[in-house]
Amino acid sequence: MGNFNFSIDLPVRSEWANVDLLRTSVQNCFTAIFSDIEGCHSLAMVTGELIENAIKYGDWSGADEQRFRLRVWGEGRSAHVSVENPVLRTDDSAQEVMKTLGWMRGFSTPLDAYRAKLLEVAAADRDPGNSKLGLVRIAYEGNCTLSAEITRGVLRVQAEMTV
Amino acid sequence: MQGLVVGDLRIEALEDESSAVMQLLWKGKSNNRHPGEALAPYFREVLAAAGTRKLPVELHFEKLEHFNSSTITSIIQLIQDSRARQIKLVLVYDQALKWQKLSFDALRVFAKDDLLELRAA
Repeated sequence: MGNFNFSIDLPVRSEWANVDLLRTSVQNCFTAIFSDIEGCHSLAMVTGELIENAIKYGDWSGADEQRFRLRVWGEGRSAHVSVENPVLRTDDSAQEVMKTLGWMRGFSTPLDAYRAKLLEVAAADRDPGNSKLGLVRIAYEGNCTLSAEITRGVLRVQAEMTV
Repeated sequence: MQGLVVGDLRIEALEDESSAVMQLLWKGKSNNRHPGEALAPYFREVLAAAGTRKLPVELHFEKLEHFNSSTITSIIQLIQDSRARQIKLVLVYDQALKWQKLSFDALRVFAKDDLLELRAA
């Protein structure tokens, strides 16, 4: 994809329809700029999975304006996608994200972690629900390094890929 | 066998009385929040029909633009259910599309017998 610098920073309403609107927007935007169609698709997939998690597991009970923050930016040959959403302190889902990232670091490759997660999903009950398959997929298919932090009731998950 | 339309996803069923295989063509995007709510009952019908007629089931993803990880979960459950019913399942994907190659190559972890085939088109 060549060297580039760009930045998108959006406050997005927490509505499911916005997942595909933003995923396709990211894909179309970067396809218009870069010639690496597959790289643009990966960036879009990463964006979609992170937004899905924010909408599914964010705390949307108390906010007047139910929005999460999406940032997509690039410097040199690195592209980043970051999603921030409010979380309940009593909700385990944010801690599950941190645990999943730690679990992934125990594997030699993202593919190994992804295969293990697929087998875990298969062994689960009919509805594995909060399996965090999307996060593991980001690392494998998106070839991304994932990080996360919880600060003052906000979970920020960030993916970095080399393009 | 009927097809299925759910949101941006359309599955076309191709088979008639003389068919040797039940083909399901996936088109569009599978981006539903809970794809399993529509896919699970549909897959049950597909497997019931295939079991009655003793036909293998082929899922064609070549024309699919995108699926989310929840859809992958539904496909894994289909793999489990078809194996439990001893129905051969074939997943056909476009290996020229990197995302499809990566997704379906990883699913080979379930290809431990002749009941599941992953076929690159």
